[in-house]
Amino acid sequence: MEQAGWILDEEQWKAWAGSLPASGCRVIAPARGPRGEAAFTKTDDADQIARGYPGKTQMSPKEFLFPRSETLFEFRLAGNTVTLVRPPRSDNKQVLIGLRPCDAAGLRRLDEVFLQDPADEAYEHRRNQTVVIVEACTEATPSCFCTAVGGSPGGTEGADLHVTRLGGSGRILLRAITQTGSELASAASASWARATEADFAEAGDQAEAVSSSIRRQPLPARTPELLEGSFEAPEWEVVASACIGCGICTYACPSCSCFDIADTGGAACGSRCRSWDSCAFGEFTKHASGHNPRPKQSARYRQRLMHKFAYFPSQHAGQLMCVGCGRCIDLCPAGIDIHQAVLALAGAARAAHRGADEGVPV
Amino acid sequence: MNATAVETLVPILGSITEVREETHDVRTLRLDLADSEEAESFTWRAGQFVMVSVFGAGESALTITNPPAQKGFIEVTFRQMGTVTSALRRLSEGEPVGLRGPYGNSFPVEEWRGRDIAFVGGGIGMAAVHAPLWDVLGNREAYGEITVMAGAKTVADLVYRNEAGRLRDIPGVRVIQVVDPGGEEPGWDGEVGLIPQVFERMGLSGRDTTVVVCGPPVMLGFMLQATTRMGTPPSQVITTLENRMKCGVGYCGHCNVGEFMVCRDGPVVSGEVISQLPNEF
Repeated sequence: MEQAGWILDEEQWKAWAGSLPASGCRVIAPARGPRGEAAFTKTDDADQIARGYPGKTQMSPKEFLFPRSETLFEFRLAGNTVTLVRPPRSDNKQVLIGLRPCDAAGLRRLDEVFLQDPADEAYEHRRNQTVVIVEACTEATPSCFCTAVGGSPGGTEGADLHVTRLGGSGRILLRAITQTGSELASAASASWARATEADFAEAGDQAEAVSSSIRRQPLPARTPELLEGSFEAPEWEVVASACIGCGICTYACPSCSCFDIADTGGAACGSRCRSWDSCAFGEFTKHASGHNPRPKQSARYRQRLMHKFAYFPSQHAGQLMCVGCGRCIDLCPAGIDIHQAVLALAGAARAAHRGADEGVPV
Repeated sequence: MNATAVETLVPILGSITEVREETHDVRTLRLDLADSEEAESFTWRAGQFVMVSVFGAGESALTITNPPAQKGFIEVTFRQMGTVTSALRRLSEGEPVGLRGPYGNSFPVEEWRGRDIAFVGGGIGMAAVHAPLWDVLGNREAYGEITVMAGAKTVADLVYRNEAGRLRDIPGVRVIQVVDPGGEEPGWDGEVGLIPQVFERMGLSGRDTTVVVCGPPVMLGFMLQATTRMGTPPSQVITTLENRMKCGVGYCGHCNVGEFMVCRDGPVVSGEVISQLPNEF
């Protein structure tokens, strides 16, 4: 299949990307956050939009489709009459620029949850307004493990447009992955040079080089089946023993989609909000009666991994609900490494199977 | 903004049109939708639930307790337990509520035709067996012998106690009320004991009886053991899971058990399905 792509120099790239806010788009790009961390931020600054960045942001970009907290409606009571007021929705196009391939893949996992039948209208509305521009990784950080879960530093899943900064040359390969991406670029693309096979090959080699710098072992192909059978395995207590239940892994995760719904205000007026929630919290499953189906932290940690590596894949043609971004590894105050934890569980399950096959007690 | 779309997580409006005290802490509410067109098109199947909103307090997942044949309004029975049910209890006739739903799957009442059925409810679990019971009784001649076993800690805690007389008047319906040891009163003519034990010694044909059982998780566990001993196939033991829920439509993750979202894939499950799920309910 012929690939649609252009080669831009830095000036052309900046002229096009930097002009997106002026064309009426709400542009979200990586910037320095309030504590110096890399963070996706709304910006009109052409330099910032075009600049690029090393590594990855501290938090994933999921909040621009699935906000940390959003108002579903406000309510007002007068006598016995209730009025519900929905928040206004923006019809402006939103461009998420500079997402890493894992970030964009994470958005596709959210789509599986929120665009099922019935679709979540607030999410769907934002999704339809959004164009995703992915920037291929030029380096891997120690926590990166996309290649262990089927991803790639040059991956295009979830991208509408895809950018590769061709090493040190100042040349940028811009590829249209979807019709939406083509349309966003269409105003300027006539003046850009068409990319050649050699340019695509160079981008491929670059992704390959970053891939091979990730020294993390791929998960076994049968990870979902192996984990499915490991629910009662004693290894869960071992891998989860350090977990303090803070939930940062779920908040930083590009694919974690759980939320809470709560009312604020009083009986006369107030609002109903949905906010990110975490299966790491003890209250997450606690019944009003006090009964808790997951009373232990190890059971809650198991739920997170089972959901991502066993339950979700079994319902989505084997696709994992983890994109290997490694943010949970970077941010876990207890030092838990999800990649190592899954390998340990899968390994233990495989050893148990093997033992069973050979008739050896395990 | 698309003002005409009915957003999944935004309730439609209704109000309390009748309040019935079942016990000192259990109440039944009749709820009517504010919009007559919405009321007309609101249909459900026995076993489905609604998210009931008390504005300012939040939402609670409550099973619809009246049978689907009663069009135009719904009833819910709840025990005052957490934030939302406490707030719901403070509301009186005429006051507004929000409703979302109906959600979830339903009891396979059509598949039970020709079989004997035992409806067993422990405590507030009676609320979950109420709709399928009256759905089946609305088509009485299609089914065999009907047994209703209602249990509670004490006589005063028996939910729908005043329905026993009406049920007993229906041919082929047997009603047994059970209270925990120590929960009886002077003159009590019902059973004293634990539901699974009383149920097992009733002499029902395990093979010919479909058992619909709802109650606390512990009781459910013992009922599954009892029905196994009685020879009832796990596919003919039907219950509802009561996991904590927030959205009701399979997004929010709270009710997830294994590959199951209780709100979307349940809440009605057979013993067969339960045996395949991790023990997290």
